[in-house]
Amino acid sequence: MWLNYFKIACRNLIKHKFYASLNVIGLAIGIASFILIWLYILDELSYDRHYRKAENIYRLVNVYDFEGVGENSASSPFPVAWTLKNDYPGMVENVTRVFNRQVPRTLIEHNDKSYNERRFFFGDSTFFKIFDVPFIYGDPYTALNEINSVVISQSAAHKYFGDSVPMGKTIRFEKMLDLKVTGVIRDVPGNSHFQFDMMASLSSLRKMYGGSLPKTWVWNPCWTYLLVEPGMADKLEANFPAFIQKYFYDAEKEHVSLYLQPLLDIHLKSTLDYEIEPNGNISYLYILGSIAFFLLIIAIINYFNLATATSANRAREIGIKKVFGATRVQLMVQFLTESLLMALIALFIALMLIEFTLPTFNVMAGKQIHLYRFTNAYYLLGVIGIATLTGLLAGTYPAFFLSSFNPIDSFRGKIRKGARSGTARKALVVIQFVVSIILIIITLNIFRQVSFMKNADTGFSKQDILLVPISNTMISRNFEGFKNELLQNPHVKSVTAMDDILGVAHNTHEFRPEGLPDDNWQFYPALVVRYDFLKTFDIKLLAGRDYNESMKTDPEKGMLINEAMVKHLGWKSNQEALGKRFSSLQGEERVIGVFTNFNATSLHQPVGPFVLNIKETPGVIRFFLKYAAIKVDPGSRQEVVHFVEDRWDSWEKGRPFEYSWFDHELAKLYAGEEILGLLALVLTMIIIFIAALGLYGLVAFMALQRTREIGIRRVMGATEFSLIKLLSVEFIWLVIVAIAIAFPLTWLLIDYWRSYFAYAMPLQWSSFLIGGLAAFLLAMFITTVRALVASKANPVDTIKYE
Amino acid sequence: MIKSVDLTRIFLTEEVETTALRQVNFNIEQGEFVAIMGPSGCGKSTLLNIIGLLDNPTKGKYIFLDHDVTNSSERQRAKLRKQNIGFVFQNFNLIDELTVFENVEMPLIYLGIPTKERKQRVEEVLEQMQISHRKKHFPGQLSGGQQQRVAVARAVVSNPKLILADEPTGNLDSANGEEVMNLLSDLNRKGTTIIMVTHSQRDAEFSHRIIRLFDGQILVENFQSN
Repeated sequence: MWLNYFKIACRNLIKHKFYASLNVIGLAIGIASFILIWLYILDELSYDRHYRKAENIYRLVNVYDFEGVGENSASSPFPVAWTLKNDYPGMVENVTRVFNRQVPRTLIEHNDKSYNERRFFFGDSTFFKIFDVPFIYGDPYTALNEINSVVISQSAAHKYFGDSVPMGKTIRFEKMLDLKVTGVIRDVPGNSHFQFDMMASLSSLRKMYGGSLPKTWVWNPCWTYLLVEPGMADKLEANFPAFIQKYFYDAEKEHVSLYLQPLLDIHLKSTLDYEIEPNGNISYLYILGSIAFFLLIIAIINYFNLATATSANRAREIGIKKVFGATRVQLMVQFLTESLLMALIALFIALMLIEFTLPTFNVMAGKQIHLYRFTNAYYLLGVIGIATLTGLLAGTYPAFFLSSFNPIDSFRGKIRKGARSGTARKALVVIQFVVSIILIIITLNIFRQVSFMKNADTGFSKQDILLVPISNTMISRNFEGFKNELLQNPHVKSVTAMDDILGVAHNTHEFRPEGLPDDNWQFYPALVVRYDFLKTFDIKLLAGRDYNESMKTDPEKGMLINEAMVKHLGWKSNQEALGKRFSSLQGEERVIGVFTNFNATSLHQPVGPFVLNIKETPGVIRFFLKYAAIKVDPGSRQEVVHFVEDRWDSWEKGRPFEYSWFDHELAKLYAGEEILGLLALVLTMIIIFIAALGLYGLVAFMALQRTREIGIRRVMGATEFSLIKLLSVEFIWLVIVAIAIAFPLTWLLIDYWRSYFAYAMPLQWSSFLIGGLAAFLLAMFITTVRALVASKANPVDTIKYE
Repeated sequence: MIKSVDLTRIFLTEEVETTALRQVNFNIEQGEFVAIMGPSGCGKSTLLNIIGLLDNPTKGKYIFLDHDVTNSSERQRAKLRKQNIGFVFQNFNLIDELTVFENVEMPLIYLGIPTKERKQRVEEVLEQMQISHRKKHFPGQLSGGQQQRVAVARAVVSNPKLILADEPTGNLDSANGEEVMNLLSDLNRKGTTIIMVTHSQRDAEFSHRIIRLFDGQILVENFQSN
């Protein structure tokens, strides 16, 4: 019997090549997209799970809240980690700090090789006891015990040492320290919330800091990870308030709180300040997951539609089988077998499609997903499970619908008339249109939001600004000298420097504004800059004046604040704010100017109080000058890059030159949305394509049912236009119903999406128009094409039909 | 074998009520060959459907092989049908996607007969219908007469007590038609009861008895002596 089902299924596929291929292609694309998104989501969910102790690893988060201003810091002060370990021995099994000197790049040299390493960190000797990365050479438990030791990744080892064994050899760190390689690890998997190529012993820095690591409880640059005894996290957290009272400075105590962030939450749920790397966003996984789910549903509905479309061909077979004793259940099993077979063929094609598209997909999504995941039994079962489920679901409707045919009717062609007005099928078409319309509108809105954020007026100019990292260079020691050299070039309009990239990140610094009690320090978001900052970034000055190089007291005594700060401190006007005193670590500073509000980080966050400050103390300057920003003539961008590189080489022999354009750095802030938008766009196009396939099948079926009617109408003198009208009128109604359902739903969804942004694009009514119109045109196009085909048939042949 | 009492079948559409059969009474004995005749729309096919357990009467009583099946469920009727009735249609109703062999085999599959026995019985009956040389062909590759021989083979392969033939020669030329009628007569001689709906007086002459229907009622029953 199974053989019989199988045979009929295969022969049906071959006989109805057109419908069968529509069906299989629809299912294959549906399954392929679903699996790709599924892999993407699994990859996002798999972050950091490869660490064996992941469940018990936490990152310590510091919240500084000064009347709504402050920071949610992913990193902590130096002493916190080991103090916690000593004070709560039964709860904290181990701790490690990770530190990058708050410098984006580190110069590493070996013989004649030198690179700017972005993935260079210092860590405690306990690091590899907590994060168990597999070692190729060396011992994870002792590798970082000695000062001046470093563990490097396989790729880094290859980069510096080629094929020779690097153990015991040295690399030179920032022309200061020789670090001995004491371990080589496998590359940290891509699905880790932070990736490193080099982890040096933190103790190596003692000398740099004058014999011991910083003891301050204010500066918080260390990412601090705790391996907590199983089940003790809550208990440990309960002790934090007392811990803060005991150790933190009086000025901070009231404003600081600490909590534990599970390692496994970091990638998808963490949006703190000073993250090591940008994280993912779990909401986007929900969005993608739902789109993938709908895509599969559309493919299944597509199958329903096509199965119904071919039902007329099957009716006789069903009737005959019933007459000769087939039960309804047997027939249902037969149709399910068929859909299952289709789904498995589709799966096979889907896997080929995936193999084919995976490289592009990986580039698009910024992932390294491989098809060999399927060698894992769970994945394989999962994939087959998806295909089987799809097959079974797709088969249900045809199974119920077709097996219900009355044999007597089926011989007389009554099915045709009955099937024409099927409410169920109309509902399915409406669902397809609803989903398509919703996705078109949402995708448009995602794109507009991304382009809005990229092009929004953030309060500063973004174009033609060259960024050059200058940490730890001779340039940072004599920035004005470098600047004057650059200004010799007529295409360089203005030069400044800053300690973080404007609009991307910033630090907070302690200030005590006039009028507050002596110990009431506040932490305000701030950038440490050099002269001409406002000019270079074209930031408007609202009152007072900019820093002026000829005023010798400006760096020590002057500061710039934004309008929001004026409001925050309750001053009545920008004018009134001028001359107000702020105590800072430099002593006393006065407001010399008020500048317009700008977006100091991404547009996910609202604008708050902000400070621009110049520091002049030699050691401090060097630390805070991390990027030079060079405003360039638009026409001579490349020319200036070569010029700056040439200057760089004369200042910094042997240190590789790096640069980026400011607008590109800003665009990276929205990489997550961009990927989401891109994936949503592709998926939407796929959904529309699949829906169009099904729709074409359905219209073809309807035209077939009405072949005779069309023939008679032609004989009576019907025009092609009237035939198009005849066939399309029903679909136009369905589109109208779909629009009526889709619009309110979309409105709700977009409203929810917009709440995620501090600066959301206003709702785009035109996107609704486009979504509705697209569905309408799609329906019209398909019916028109089919109607034209039908109207071309010779009426003499078609009237004889039946 | 078959007994009907005041058999009535009314079709209801949205607004129209059509009485297809009106209080029809008849008996058919085991081994008979009965022809049902009458003009288009007289209720022949409706009657055949009820006899063939494809349809239920609206009123009256229908007894098939001592079972009162008047109001039995589709499941019960399907069971009686597949064990006892073979069908031959005017337009053959072969499944295009199955070969001759597979078409004939189909009723045996639904009867749950093992593969080996199925093969043997299908071979036998194809031999008997002189069509076994085409057993691997698909219906589309056969002439009308050959297709109807396959259909007859399919009808008899399960050794039914009753064969219902709905205009079995309607789509055939006279030579092929006569061949099919001879096949049916042969089967009848071997003991199978045959009920046949036909327009053709020539075909009807193969039967023992002709029931003439008109407007849903039995007009006359003629016994023939051949």
